[in-house]
Amino acid sequence: MNYLFHILVMIGIYVILTQSLNLVMGYTGLLSVCHAAFYGIGAYASTLLMTGWGVNFFVALPIAVIVSVLLSFVVSIPSLRLKGDYFVLATLGFQAIIFGIMYNWVSFTRGPYGIPGIPIPTLFGFAFDSPASYTLLSLGLAALVVTFIYLITSSQFGRVLKAIREDEIATQALGRNTVLFKTTAFALGAGIAAIAGSLYAGYVRYIDPTSFTVAESLFLVTILAIGGSGNIQGPVVGTIILVLLPEVLRFLRIPDTIAPNIRMMLYALALILVVIYRPRGIAGEYGFE
Amino acid sequence: MLLQLLANGLCAGALYAIVALGFGLIYRTTGVFHFAHGAVYTIAAYLLYLFGVTMGLQPIGAVLIALIGAAVSGVLSEVVVYRPIARRISSPLATMIGSFGIYLFVVNAIALIAGNETKVLRPGVDVTFRFGSIILTRFQLFAFFAFVALLVAFVFFKRTQLGRLLSAFADNPMLVEVLGWNTSTIRIGVFAAGSILAGIAASLSALDVGMDPYVGMSALLMSAVAVIVGGVRVFEGAIVGGILLGIVQSLVVWRLSARWMDVFTFIILVLFLLLRPEGLLGKAVRLEEAR
Repeated sequence: MNYLFHILVMIGIYVILTQSLNLVMGYTGLLSVCHAAFYGIGAYASTLLMTGWGVNFFVALPIAVIVSVLLSFVVSIPSLRLKGDYFVLATLGFQAIIFGIMYNWVSFTRGPYGIPGIPIPTLFGFAFDSPASYTLLSLGLAALVVTFIYLITSSQFGRVLKAIREDEIATQALGRNTVLFKTTAFALGAGIAAIAGSLYAGYVRYIDPTSFTVAESLFLVTILAIGGSGNIQGPVVGTIILVLLPEVLRFLRIPDTIAPNIRMMLYALALILVVIYRPRGIAGEYGFE
Repeated sequence: MLLQLLANGLCAGALYAIVALGFGLIYRTTGVFHFAHGAVYTIAAYLLYLFGVTMGLQPIGAVLIALIGAAVSGVLSEVVVYRPIARRISSPLATMIGSFGIYLFVVNAIALIAGNETKVLRPGVDVTFRFGSIILTRFQLFAFFAFVALLVAFVFFKRTQLGRLLSAFADNPMLVEVLGWNTSTIRIGVFAAGSILAGIAASLSALDVGMDPYVGMSALLMSAVAVIVGGVRVFEGAIVGGILLGIVQSLVVWRLSARWMDVFTFIILVLFLLLRPEGLLGKAVRLEEAR
């Protein structure tokens, strides 16, 4: 039963991550390969607040979101005025720099040793210490995020984002400040990814930089490409499939030492096949046209 | 001391310039943001290890095999992935995602076969040479001479018919096709040439400091930044950018520590994107002309 709860918690965390990336990649058409950096910023910010200053999880979480939003401008302001490829490169560089800081600034982040002993989230004296209660927290936050994304993407704001994705110059000609819209979408995506980071830190209660690498960013892009993006159901479908796949592989008795590599190779293969034969993914709306 | 640092930076920059020249060549002519250039780089390094150390071939033979392997893997990524994508949807985003796929597949396959740990090609300290107050290792000299040789070859190549054809292809592939050239052959040639350049740099760097499955990522990041810094729209941009990055990094290592190299690379990128997005050698162009 606890095994099932664990999978549900991970699905909740990854739904938050992929939905926030969906806002950037699926709705606005911006390929970002630094989403794991914002995930990590969220995890580290709330962890440092909780362990360093004894801040409550539910206070640390919004602060982590703000930190992540502010850092998103470091990428978006220089690169979003330029052509799409520059943005991808800037996100790749940002991913490298954030990983570099998490790994090398030992006095601040403890570097490769990681941070153990992260406190259990509590709300008004209720501790989310059992697998069932954490599942509730994770899926509850995921539901909130999905609702939020659904509301903003079906509003006028969301329609402008889709218009930018389809034809940015035409959208500008209609009098929209497309750079502002793109910057906002990217900042929202970064902020929501920080929620997932905090949730992850409170769940595993030990974080180190290896959870927030460029491979993780590419994994999130893979989930969106396979499940589909540009609507609400695509990322959810992708998340469920790709979070369950390793568990299936476990039943095939592949040795633990090679399992992660085999899994990534399968993901990579699926990514290439999807982009060639079914660019919209399994349930998506946007096919990178 | 400063002279020594500049010399170190120049030799490191020579390697960046070689990879970046390959990346820039592919990017400028085909429009593909060839993320898998990093994978090609890693493949070359591991082929060198496989044939040079495991099978015990002569160094020259092993390097040749590594270069051929690099060219083949670059061409394969064009034929097996990029071309089918372009046939269905012609979008840089889809191509780039396909490129991520190639990179992830190759790196994990290599990690699976060869393991995650760092491998060195030759144990012990390298032979050094002294020039006045500067001391350089043998492989630093190799890197420098390879770079100079390529630079000379490049200057000549640009003036040949083929060089002009490539410039024309970069500016307007459709027009080149109208003139009767087979564009898919040109693209294959470009991928082969660019990948050989990655292979040269990978071999030199593998001989010097060894390899792990993730070396390609940092090589790719450096070359992409070098191309932007130097200017995307001119082939020489990669060379200038690469050398500049090498020198700046060597100064960073001296002032701070080698661990902050990536961070400074990124700061340089952000500064260029903000202040001079067309790069050092580039000219600003209208959006319709940009490709």
